[in-house]
Amino acid sequence: MKIRKLLFVTKFESLCYDALHSLLDLRKSGLEHVVFLNVIEREKVAMRRGKGYEKDEEVRLKETANIRFIDWAENLFEMGMEVGAYIEVSSLIPEILQVVEKEKPDLIVIGRSQKGKIEQLYSRSDITELTRRSPVPILVFKHMAENKLVPAKIFERPLFATSWSNSSEKAVACLRELAQVIGDMHIMHVVDEKDLKTADAHKVQQVRKKERKRLDDLCGEFEEKGISARPHVYVGDPETEILKAAREYQASMIILGFSDRTALMERWMGSISRNIADKSPYPCLLFPVKK
Amino acid sequence: MSKKVLVVDDDPDVRSFVVTVLEENQYTPLVAVDGVEGLEMIEKEKPDLVILDVLMPRGSGIRLYRHLKTDDTLKTIPVIMFTGIALRSFLKSQKALEEFKGEKVPEPDIYLEKPVEPQELVDAIRKKI
Repeated sequence: MKIRKLLFVTKFESLCYDALHSLLDLRKSGLEHVVFLNVIEREKVAMRRGKGYEKDEEVRLKETANIRFIDWAENLFEMGMEVGAYIEVSSLIPEILQVVEKEKPDLIVIGRSQKGKIEQLYSRSDITELTRRSPVPILVFKHMAENKLVPAKIFERPLFATSWSNSSEKAVACLRELAQVIGDMHIMHVVDEKDLKTADAHKVQQVRKKERKRLDDLCGEFEEKGISARPHVYVGDPETEILKAAREYQASMIILGFSDRTALMERWMGSISRNIADKSPYPCLLFPVKK
Repeated sequence: MSKKVLVVDDDPDVRSFVVTVLEENQYTPLVAVDGVEGLEMIEKEKPDLVILDVLMPRGSGIRLYRHLKTDDTLKTIPVIMFTGIALRSFLKSQKALEEFKGEKVPEPDIYLEKPVEPQELVDAIRKKI
């Protein structure tokens, strides 16, 4: 699966041209088309008592977005890339899904969720909502200025946390096509502590050996494609251990499959991918379960 | 019979402006909202002139322009580029694509940067048809 076309969803506050620029390395692996999307939330121009629909505000917001997109598009056109743009008054997630349907991108790039904690509890975060409903991988970009951890080239040192799920397999299929972009990849699997609740050291070592063998085989697959990959087995709470590994190996990004957990369970109990995507300082590339 | 002019632009306000100018000057306006629909209309209607935006969804004006100028049956249709994208960037994009694809296409007949006065648009159209 190649990334030829990406959909760049921006509100301008958190995701700007520098973020897009850091993804242009993907041109080496076939990226040729960028589609911009700015969604003006309805409440910004909604009907208000005594004011009605604020058409002037809609025009102002659309023109402001248009000026930014023209500027960005000129840069990309000059590189010989194909560019498209949408500026719509709508609701974020339904609009993204509509554009995905029309444009068929290979990747969606979006900033972290803007919803508050209480709002997320009842209506889920934008990221969760999108990952549940999108058939396309999602890159949750974290802005460089927020921390010193994120290098300009986010594919330079990715950490791929595999759970051996269907969505992890999708991640493998996509990453194998990015040999010209990925620097050194670290691949990890977290063994749940409850699987090791035994006094038998031999059994614990067997679990480790089995997982390490699977990771070795996977690294071998990547190395055949020219991608340098190192395996790591961790034990414990997956969310904690993934973040620990990201710090230890100075990851430039975390790559995860989205969990198969039901929407209801996820809303109340949380999900590893969602928590990491929403809360960690690392950009996250998420692969959805949906086909 | 009045001449057919196709406007390809995703902005409804721009389409409305150009259509009004065309109607007031006895041209028959046709409209398309993006590059894909634009190409379909061109193949179906064979307009006498195309007024083409650059930054649009579902296929940019750059892609459509290159398609028109490399298609033997369509390359004689004059094109007025009508866009917010600067001419300098447009020409650089053509140069980059020439190097990448190895095919050279002629520069647009007329390049108008938005916004323009109605008379400027009419003058440009009259130069070509």
